[in-house]
Amino acid sequence: MKVQVVSIPVLDQEKALQFYTEKLGFLKKVDVPLSEHSRWLTVVSKEDQDGTEILLEPAPNHFEPAKVYQKALFDAGIPYTQFNAADVEQEYERLSGLGVEFSVKPTAMGTVKIAVFNDTCGNNIQIVEML
Amino acid sequence: MTYYLKEITRIKNACYGNQGQLDTVIGTRHYINNNYDQELNLDLLSHVRFTSKFHLLRLFKRYYGQTPGQYLTDRRIAKAKEYLMAGSTVTETCFNIGFESPSSFCTLFKQRTGMTPAEFQKKSNFHKS
Repeated sequence: MKVQVVSIPVLDQEKALQFYTEKLGFLKKVDVPLSEHSRWLTVVSKEDQDGTEILLEPAPNHFEPAKVYQKALFDAGIPYTQFNAADVEQEYERLSGLGVEFSVKPTAMGTVKIAVFNDTCGNNIQIVEML
Repeated sequence: MTYYLKEITRIKNACYGNQGQLDTVIGTRHYINNNYDQELNLDLLSHVRFTSKFHLLRLFKRYYGQTPGQYLTDRRIAKAKEYLMAGSTVTETCFNIGFESPSSFCTLFKQRTGMTPAEFQKKSNFHKS
């Protein structure tokens, strides 16, 4: 078995696509219409285009418990998932410059440095740099 | 303060209070990053950080969750991918990342990536064209 796709729940797929591509710099990989209001929509890291795809999944709009879970994580400040960055401080400066809001500024945690931002689609996302 | 921020503070205090140990493992990781193309072993790494090799092994595993040897292999495979994608031959790549035998390099590369270095290179060239 291989890990090909992992999912992130999003409140609005189009808005999520814009955020993940225009702000974070991911690339759209697969976009298949499934119904009037949902698509099989994945993005990949520009630096690892054959790597794991992220499915921007509209679950919170179709399944109430998913919405409750997403909101509870968000309100507690807990990241839904995390991405690796070569330099967290640099990413923090770049994303802040693009208007991205951080709930945790770059913070050293032992052997890693972390920061957490709002993806505007219902999730906190953590970026991590190995020290 | 959010629940997550409180947890970060708690974990930081509970797990990362010993700056000396952190400096040792972070320094070891940086040494591996900068010298992955050399012959590295635990004796050398512990000598560089002025510590015993068993202590270093335990510390590295505790803080990074893998041994220095496992980390070195990860680093070498990642660099091998970069060399292959940049057009180096399999043999050049093998020596550039500190392996002495192309056959053991190919075996390890296949174990870790599911394809041989040549297959990997062919696939990345196909995606580029």
